[in-house]
Amino acid sequence: MVVRVRVRNAETGATVDMELEMENTVEEIIEGVSAYWEKDPGAYVIRKGRRLLRGQQKVQELEIQANEELELIPDPEGGNR
Amino acid sequence: MAELIRPGERDEDRHDRTRLVPWVDFGRIDSAKVLVVGAGALGNEAVKDLALFGFHHLDVLDMDSVVRSNLSRCVLFREGDQSSGKGKASLVAERARELDPELQVTAIEGRVQSLGPEEMKRYDIILGCLDNVTARLHMNANAYHARVPYVDGGTDGFRGRVQAVVPPMTPCLQCGMNRSHFRILERRFSCTGQDTVFYQPKRAAEITTTSIIAAVQVREAVKILSGRPAISHVMHYDGVAGTSEVLALDIDPGCPNHAPAKLS
Repeated sequence: MVVRVRVRNAETGATVDMELEMENTVEEIIEGVSAYWEKDPGAYVIRKGRRLLRGQQKVQELEIQANEELELIPDPEGGNR
Repeated sequence: MAELIRPGERDEDRHDRTRLVPWVDFGRIDSAKVLVVGAGALGNEAVKDLALFGFHHLDVLDMDSVVRSNLSRCVLFREGDQSSGKGKASLVAERARELDPELQVTAIEGRVQSLGPEEMKRYDIILGCLDNVTARLHMNANAYHARVPYVDGGTDGFRGRVQAVVPPMTPCLQCGMNRSHFRILERRFSCTGQDTVFYQPKRAAEITTTSIIAAVQVREAVKILSGRPAISHVMHYDGVAGTSEVLALDIDPGCPNHAPAKLS
């Protein structure tokens, strides 16, 4: 089974549609859209509504509806320089 | 006998206005022992806020010295500090005492990795003002095992995040990390076969986001010490959009910090 979602780039507002298998993980979504948008190397997380998704979670665990929107957010790690 | 008061005496108490916030436990704030890890941009702001709020027992840890480019974000550093020979932690401690002479603040010039769970048990709360995943993972795991609340802040340009970890109830930093975080570690430590090279990239940073993130860290510390619930669980701040949102995170069942034996 395949589900189509929309992923929004929090930094630019751009969106891309992505087809996901139930076995795909959140980490694979992050890697897929990061490569598509040629993101700078860095840490990123995905949110679904008001919840942050864990990297190892599979699509089948996420209760994603067709065409639901996820958002790719940078996870800032600076602050001591 | 009736209590004796004098006109204007309330204004002699430097914390009088803050004491008007009804839920703040000032007894706890006054006695709490706080560790600030990192005396750079976030650490400067956090120590300034802690001192002004009324905290009186701080330790500040950092192994670095000041460079001139720190001066645009570090309220406690001065022109000339970069050639003083003093470390960031010592300078922050020295200047914090100028803010409140009653402040007992100790500088620890050392590495994050020198602190284990036993050292962390000395503290009531720890603020992470760091700039890399390795140091964050160390503080997160050890503070969690020591059962000491840990409030972590991070910035990148006009973006920031704060996570409040209150063991054993909340998810920890590692619960929210994924391969993109660990790839950073792989890039930072490149092994040449004979040596390990540490690569620290220069990252965008500016004072307004730094101030906001450090202020939220200190406010979460005040809430936790006053017995109020902390944010659940991660605040993401976007300074360009002018928004901040608190996003929920689940405990990762595979996270080593939440192994069943350690939750007892």
